[in-house]
Amino acid sequence: MRRTILIALVIAATVVTALVAAPLFKTPAAPTTFSEAASMITRTAVSVSLLFVWIIVAIVVTLMSGREVRYSSIEVRTSPLHCFALGLVAVTSFVLTAILFSYLIPYLVGIPLLVALAILAVITKIYGTIAVFHAVGSIVAAARSRDKLAERRWLRGDLAMVVIGILLLGAIRLIPVVGTVVWGIASVFGIGTALATKFGRREPWFLVWRTADV
Amino acid sequence: MNDACQRYAEDPEKNAAHLRECETCRSLYAGVETRPVNVGTLPLAAWEGARYRSWPLVLGGALAVLAIALALCAAAGISPIAALAVGFRSDSARAWIALIDQKLRPLGPLVFATLFIIVNTILVLLLRRAPRGIDA
Repeated sequence: MRRTILIALVIAATVVTALVAAPLFKTPAAPTTFSEAASMITRTAVSVSLLFVWIIVAIVVTLMSGREVRYSSIEVRTSPLHCFALGLVAVTSFVLTAILFSYLIPYLVGIPLLVALAILAVITKIYGTIAVFHAVGSIVAAARSRDKLAERRWLRGDLAMVVIGILLLGAIRLIPVVGTVVWGIASVFGIGTALATKFGRREPWFLVWRTADV
Repeated sequence: MNDACQRYAEDPEKNAAHLRECETCRSLYAGVETRPVNVGTLPLAAWEGARYRSWPLVLGGALAVLAIALALCAAAGISPIAALAVGFRSDSARAWIALIDQKLRPLGPLVFATLFIIVNTILVLLLRRAPRGIDA
């Protein structure tokens, strides 16, 4: 059943991508001139090139901290609503804080603060999106029983789940409008799960104040 | 405790006969409820098989994407480096922040400060919740 869904998803993504790249009939989004067609190919080339960079970064991060990525992936699957809400609030907080820091640029302290915020935001987004890749890969292709796991030769392990997730979301990303929306939602989920699990370390962000019991 | 007791402690099912012979072990393990656990019936844990590195799939996927990217770059008449440069440069985050700044500026600093405090308070409240994850 799951394998059928996986195959159907891959075929659907391929068909949609093929239709977008070379539509059978004219749609308002279809290129009508040679320059529009060239621009569409260039955009697709840029997207696929970035996808390759994502694969490399995801492989490196998963090899370096596979357990953390797995914990964050589990969190996004068990508490999706919390991760999404946290991601939305965190993105809003990043934007408002960036505006606040931009007011401080004339006082010199603004630039290092902005740089620090940008680094935090980029690391959060990259790590979180990789966790979402793992979650998507696990939802679609992970084994549900030990027998199935033992039967599999290639389709198991964190690295395989991450790569499957990237390939699926990457194929969806090539669809105009829908791809951008889906990728944006995945980023919000990712930022949420990265912050909810403290980058997979599952430590509290804030310490609770307690008086020492004598 | 002798060797037989040690062997029983290590594998009670295989050395079940020892319990009939040894009074010490019988009194020691009498209160312990033992139930055989069929590992196969337990749900699959997330970490099982997770460390396996499926290099053929990973390399195959990466090389396939690289081949498609190179083909598309060749069709578009740009180098892969130029494509990456365009991709990294077209970051919409800065544009979004500028747009929101433009929308918020007419509202005044008081509204901005209130919004900032409300959003960050909600963020702190959401961050206080412990992750469920593997405990769920």
